[in-house]
Amino acid sequence: MASKFCRLFRPIAANFARTRFLQQANVVTQPCRNNTQSTGTTTEKRPTIRAPDTLMRKTLSEFGQYVAENLPKYVQQVQITNTDELDIMIHPDGIVPVISFLKDHHSCQFLNIIDLTAVDVPTRQYRFEIVYMLMSLRFNSRIKVKTYTDELSPIESICSVFAGANWYEREIWDMFGVFFANHPDLRRILTDYGFEGHPLRKEFPLSGYVEVRYDDEVKRVVVEPLELTQEFRKFECSSPWETFPKYQQLQDAEEVPMNKEGNKPQEKK
Amino acid sequence: MAGVSRKITTGLTGLKVINEPHEMLKVLYEKILIALDKIPATAAYRVNTEQIVRNRMQHVLTERNVQVLEQKIDGGQIEEVILQAKRELALARKMIEWKPWEPLVAQAPKNQWKWPF
Repeated sequence: MASKFCRLFRPIAANFARTRFLQQANVVTQPCRNNTQSTGTTTEKRPTIRAPDTLMRKTLSEFGQYVAENLPKYVQQVQITNTDELDIMIHPDGIVPVISFLKDHHSCQFLNIIDLTAVDVPTRQYRFEIVYMLMSLRFNSRIKVKTYTDELSPIESICSVFAGANWYEREIWDMFGVFFANHPDLRRILTDYGFEGHPLRKEFPLSGYVEVRYDDEVKRVVVEPLELTQEFRKFECSSPWETFPKYQQLQDAEEVPMNKEGNKPQEKK
Repeated sequence: MAGVSRKITTGLTGLKVINEPHEMLKVLYEKILIALDKIPATAAYRVNTEQIVRNRMQHVLTERNVQVLEQKIDGGQIEEVILQAKRELALARKMIEWKPWEPLVAQAPKNQWKWPF
């Protein structure tokens, strides 16, 4: 009896709920739409996906200046990206001093190493850009330290400062062939035994240099130089991703002016 | 004092409670200041670090209550503050060798930091 009663009333109730929900939804969305329109026309020309945080940018640029002021021997440039990240560009001689300053100084305390990676840009004089990402739990902030090197000049290892950098440096050695001086155990980490070349270098072919197959005659896996038919040798060089030249300029990082009062004999070039 | 207000744990792995932190902090801060004396007086690292350390030293000398001291220094628990002081001491000693107050070693090559390329 009760179930019949329910069956009778359920469609009505559902309808009622639906109409109520729609009305409410309308009420909620209306002012939001107005808001985005008003901000879009008056102040902010960028897409309004992410609101700019001016206070954050100010604190970060002040901290960037503080680091540059303390270590004028090594810091070449300080910048804040459009996503409010602080980048410290340093000379490769100063890796260990800068990283240990950021780790050990009272007002930095970047005690966690988040990542360490490299970027390959073959057209530059120093083609590899090494990026260190650190995090400070005490001050709830992150920082990137960037430096550069080429194929031959070694970079000082930071394993003495961050033991956790050991495997990251091995990874960079494996993928890019950047040599780390004074690393406790610098050897391959990701590629296979007997692998040749550094796969993330731009000149490394997508298909690799060798192919591996099981040979029935010798009853084992053999490694042979790669043989590709001609049709697979044509590579499409244009980027598969859409590019937006309109926003290219907006995404440029903003350079922080460095405070050079502390060191008068600074070079001027 | 005993029993009620004694701290049992810091809540941080491997970090033991230190019941008399004042002596330890005083010694550490004095050592830092001695190390900083070997750095030129105009170096920004020395100026900034001395300011921080003297400020903390002042709080350590005047405030006997550990909890109030923690609030005044505002660097976490007192055990963490001791760790920070130890790190700063090691850094100051290494800074004497590195001499980071000197002028820039070399500018980056042109377009090294330019992005998008």
